[in-house]
Amino acid sequence: MACTIKIGNILVKYTKMGGLYMRTLVIIPAYNEALNLPNLIKEIVNNGYEYLIINDCSSDNTVNVCKENSFNYLDLPINLGIAGVTNAGFMYAYDNKYDAAIVIDGDGQHPPKYVKTLLDKIDEGYDYVLGSRYIAEKKPFNMRMLGSRLLGLLIKIKTGKTISDPTSGMRALGKTVIMDFAQNMNFVAEPDALVHVLKRNYKFTEVAVKMEERSKGESYFKNPYKSIKYMIQEIISILFIQW
Amino acid sequence: MELMSSGLQITLIIGSIVTLICVLYNVVRTKMDIKYAIIWVLLGLFILIIAVFPQLIKVASDALGILTASNMVFLLTIFLLYCLSFYTFLKMSKMQKDIKTLTYEVSLLKKNKDE
Repeated sequence: MACTIKIGNILVKYTKMGGLYMRTLVIIPAYNEALNLPNLIKEIVNNGYEYLIINDCSSDNTVNVCKENSFNYLDLPINLGIAGVTNAGFMYAYDNKYDAAIVIDGDGQHPPKYVKTLLDKIDEGYDYVLGSRYIAEKKPFNMRMLGSRLLGLLIKIKTGKTISDPTSGMRALGKTVIMDFAQNMNFVAEPDALVHVLKRNYKFTEVAVKMEERSKGESYFKNPYKSIKYMIQEIISILFIQW
Repeated sequence: MELMSSGLQITLIIGSIVTLICVLYNVVRTKMDIKYAIIWVLLGLFILIIAVFPQLIKVASDALGILTASNMVFLLTIFLLYCLSFYTFLKMSKMQKDIKTLTYEVSLLKKNKDE
């Protein structure tokens, strides 16, 4: 259930969660996602959520797709990479005083039906909710999962908490974490952001989600050099920089 | 052959630990951007490893046919500094480009606002 209130000149949409009305923003980082975006946005709008697409200087016609469909979007003039893009999203959420924000990849990997699953947890009073692929099912054994396990182990050593899916990009943030991330975000990616969250005693939980294969386009981690760089950066960041 | 006196080695280890702690402390305190912070932490760790296992330098200098270990140290440090400086130039050049793009975008916005 949603209701819209006019404050000044701005239309504000509140979604009813539990007993309270919350303003939530779905942040969608998009890099060359022109083919995936229309379907994704349709689904999100049908579920009654506000969203913000952030185009990270795509080389395809993502901007035109956003313009033609009059989506709500930010068009970054320079390429910031995924961490910079999500940071911009959190700043937007903070400036516009949203109560909750949720990050969903623009490539269709994160089905929008799980937005509610994560937001329900925020509504229960959690500050940071992670959508995990491996609560319900076991991790397969391949190179990528080896990396995931290693990062999980490092997080366990650093914070004493077990995380089943440390690399998951689907997460929901409450108001306090939005403020924190908008003001001092200094992470390589999701795993060290998690360490930051766990070290600050925010209320954290994981919920089971199922992710899809990328519908179109190519994954960043196909490039082995980038994967190795990512792992080294994560290890150093988790062990030495996040306190 | 004894590579170096244990007194010297202890001094080197303590020195490198202090260096690493200084780097970590300042990197965390000033919230240095994570990408650059990682490079400095890696360099600090590298110095620590060399101090704990100076044999590594000996092995490398023998393999390369360099007569004295100290020359290997000079070669290595100069090369590292060379790489680091090259990296900063790369980053600087990217930033220069970004500033140009941003300036252009801002001027566009100003133009649209004034019209």
